Amino acid sequence: MRLNVNGQEVEAKEGALLLELVDVPTLCHHPHTETHGLCRLCLVEVEGRLVPACATQATEGMVVRTDTETLRSFRKTLLEWLALSTDLSLAPGLEELLLAYGADPGRWGEMPLTRKGRAPIRDNPFFLRDYAKCVNCRRCVDACGDGIMGVYALTLEGRGLLAHPTTPLDRPLPETPCVFCGNCVQVCPTGALRPLSLEV
Amino acid sequence: MRTTCPYCGVGCQVEPMVQGGRIVQVLAPDIPPNHGALCVKGRFGLDFPFSGKRLLYPMVRESRKEPFRRVSWDEALDFAAQRLLEVFRKRGPEGLAVFPSAKTTNEEVYLAQKLARALLETNNVDHCSRLCHSSSTAALSRSLGGASMTNPIEDIWKTDLFLVVGSNTTETHPVIGAMIKKRVRQGAKLIVVDPRYTGMAEAATLWLRPHPGTDLFLFNAMARYILEEGLWDQGYVEERTEGFAEWRASVEGYTLEEAERITGVKRENIALAARLYATTERAGVYWAMGLTQHTKGTATVQALVNLALLTGKVGEEGAGLNPLRGQNNVQGAGDMGGLPDVLPGYRKVADQEARKRFENLWGVTLNPKPGLRMTEIFEGIPEVEAIYLIGEDPVTSEPYQDHLKAKLEALPFLIVQDILENETTPFAHVVLPAASFLEKEGTFTNTDRRVQRVRKILNPPGEARPDWWIIQELGKRLAQGLGRPWTLYSRPEGIWEEVRRAVPEMMGGITYRRLEEEGVRWPCPKEDHPGEAVLFREGFNTPSGRARFIPVHFTPPAETPSEEYPLTLSTGRVLYHWHGGTLSRNSRLQEAYPELKVEVNPKDAQRLGIQDGEVVQVVSRRGRIRAKAWVTDRTPEGVVYAPFHFAEAPANRLTLNALDPISRIPEYKVSAVRLEKLD
Repeated sequence: MRLNVNGQEVEAKEGALLLELVDVPTLCHHPHTETHGLCRLCLVEVEGRLVPACATQATEGMVVRTDTETLRSFRKTLLEWLALSTDLSLAPGLEELLLAYGADPGRWGEMPLTRKGRAPIRDNPFFLRDYAKCVNCRRCVDACGDGIMGVYALTLEGRGLLAHPTTPLDRPLPETPCVFCGNCVQVCPTGALRPLSLEV
Repeated sequence: MRTTCPYCGVGCQVEPMVQGGRIVQVLAPDIPPNHGALCVKGRFGLDFPFSGKRLLYPMVRESRKEPFRRVSWDEALDFAAQRLLEVFRKRGPEGLAVFPSAKTTNEEVYLAQKLARALLETNNVDHCSRLCHSSSTAALSRSLGGASMTNPIEDIWKTDLFLVVGSNTTETHPVIGAMIKKRVRQGAKLIVVDPRYTGMAEAATLWLRPHPGTDLFLFNAMARYILEEGLWDQGYVEERTEGFAEWRASVEGYTLEEAERITGVKRENIALAARLYATTERAGVYWAMGLTQHTKGTATVQALVNLALLTGKVGEEGAGLNPLRGQNNVQGAGDMGGLPDVLPGYRKVADQEARKRFENLWGVTLNPKPGLRMTEIFEGIPEVEAIYLIGEDPVTSEPYQDHLKAKLEALPFLIVQDILENETTPFAHVVLPAASFLEKEGTFTNTDRRVQRVRKILNPPGEARPDWWIIQELGKRLAQGLGRPWTLYSRPEGIWEEVRRAVPEMMGGITYRRLEEEGVRWPCPKEDHPGEAVLFREGFNTPSGRARFIPVHFTPPAETPSEEYPLTLSTGRVLYHWHGGTLSRNSRLQEAYPELKVEVNPKDAQRLGIQDGEVVQVVSRRGRIRAKAWVTDRTPEGVVYAPFHFAEAPANRLTLNALDPISRIPEYKVSAVRLEKLD
């Protein structure tokens, strides 16, 4: 199967995701957690439409553009909004992206509602949940649930700017089915979940 | 840097990050067998090498009445060698025993059994798998001529039906447990046979809850039903097996009606399980200690083997017979000859040809008489006068603890080589401080026969040294005293090269260089061989190449409930702890599960007036322990469950040392107890 990426012919296997073929940033995608199409950082242009590369399969003859003016400006805005609403200090990869896309979060003024003020939750001997740093990528929810463990101790609550991962009914983790495998910690891209042993 | 997790047999690959003398984070690389996933023990429980209980210096004493003296390595090794030689000269090979450990590396087990056989002329070599899967080893060896998982862990993704028996997989092999559960979410069926409502039972398509110790009856009844309904694989049985006719007659009495009466499982559910298993092509069996730790453990595994042969499930992808090995290197410890009746590569010590190979390799003559098994060695004290114990804590892990302590008191000479002080250290004459898995090089072999690297990330604390170095130095002194040859190696890779020459058909193609990226499974005879995934595709390792049906019959457990002891005690593990607790209770895991909780069914609790969280005493004919009652229907009425991790409340003070006649495994899973309220 062949397709065209930014004017170049590219060979691909049947069923491949666009993300495997093109070089675009992503935040929510992870091979083990089956998280698809949430963060929108990996949007690419296919026949004039914007589609998430992590949730779109390559097809024969597809024409893909990954670096148009529209896409750059879109990613820049997304990153600026992430920086405005979230503490990205433990996400060096995202901070680099902000620089690369010339992001200037200040141009939007203040956000009316942000996660930045949330206090970390310490309710177990192993890791803390610091949702001020969470970007709602859902990787932790999927690692805990369908993706790896099948434990479902984490879930997404709230809508829009209030959306956030937490335990069912906000119970402390030891009161949930959590088995403290820490797979949620390993897949977290921003340090929102991190081992207590990393704290000094 | 990448290494192999030291807890269970899954063999997860881990990348511990060490900063300022402590582990700050453990990540997992995206390679087999765990592909990035870990459980709580691998993720948060690897900090035991930093425990204050580390043994830091060699210590000796003449008798148990004296305190230990800190001495130099030379003095400790000289003293140990001299005492071993005295016993050897006085009592001969029968008076000594060497216990390698399923927690040490392949190279170290190989060297320890070589020290016993080539220098001390004794086959009194055994290790802790005697207490876990010896029943599986015996049954599988008799039938198939091999004793390991027949299928790789990756086959889970090809399996359409799992029959999980007596395995609390989500707590004892959590990464495999999660994989099976995920496969079930993808549409596979899961039949669980377990008296306890475990995480696997919760995920099951069909959960059978037999009375403890009755699985054998259940499997024979399933087999009889499959025969009766014509659901068996006639072609497979004719072409690939022997002993069918005799065995067929033996299951005649195992009717569904009788099975329901004995096991307590409804006959229609036994029939349904049998039908599902027989008619699903890719059906794999997984089991663990719930099956093996009985006086009829070998017979029970045998019944399961017969069932798999009857339905043609061995030698096929996504199926097979899969004992889940509990220790990180229990597979390797057996492969390396850490057993009384076999040399490395499972060659019988009684077989002259086999001995000849090792006599040529080691330049010595070998003792043809198989040695004693672990449980027999302890019983053999004081005729057995000296024991060299490496990385084992029998006071916690052996049954009937008070009896064992009396035996150890009577033992004239004990060497304890370990990383942490444990319950057995106080009985030692010589204490040799060893390096932990983070502080040495070598290989472990996981449950599906994958040989994987162990890498040095830290320097050992104090004067602790790697086990291979200690064994080598002790061997050097024994060899000098006896005038026998003893090879010295500058690093573990040299020992591994000798293993490759010793068992080329098994390990010949596995080099350290190949193991850099990921592990390789045995058998792997050549360097360009990928390593065998599914065993017995063509033939079995028996003389005829056919698998053997072996008739087995049900017998009740050695101890049944009585008026005075009306409840059945079952022992096992919990997610947060490991065996005797020496490792896990010296790690961060201790905070999550600090004390013994005994599971009590709500009906029993109500009858006895016991509240959830109340402290009670669990009493057997052999002793009593204190525990916090956890009132839960995870355990059935009439059964209490206690993990054995807690030295201050040792469940093994209660268990009895009734043994399986073939494997000599104790019946940890059934003893009669009562609960007493504390007033």
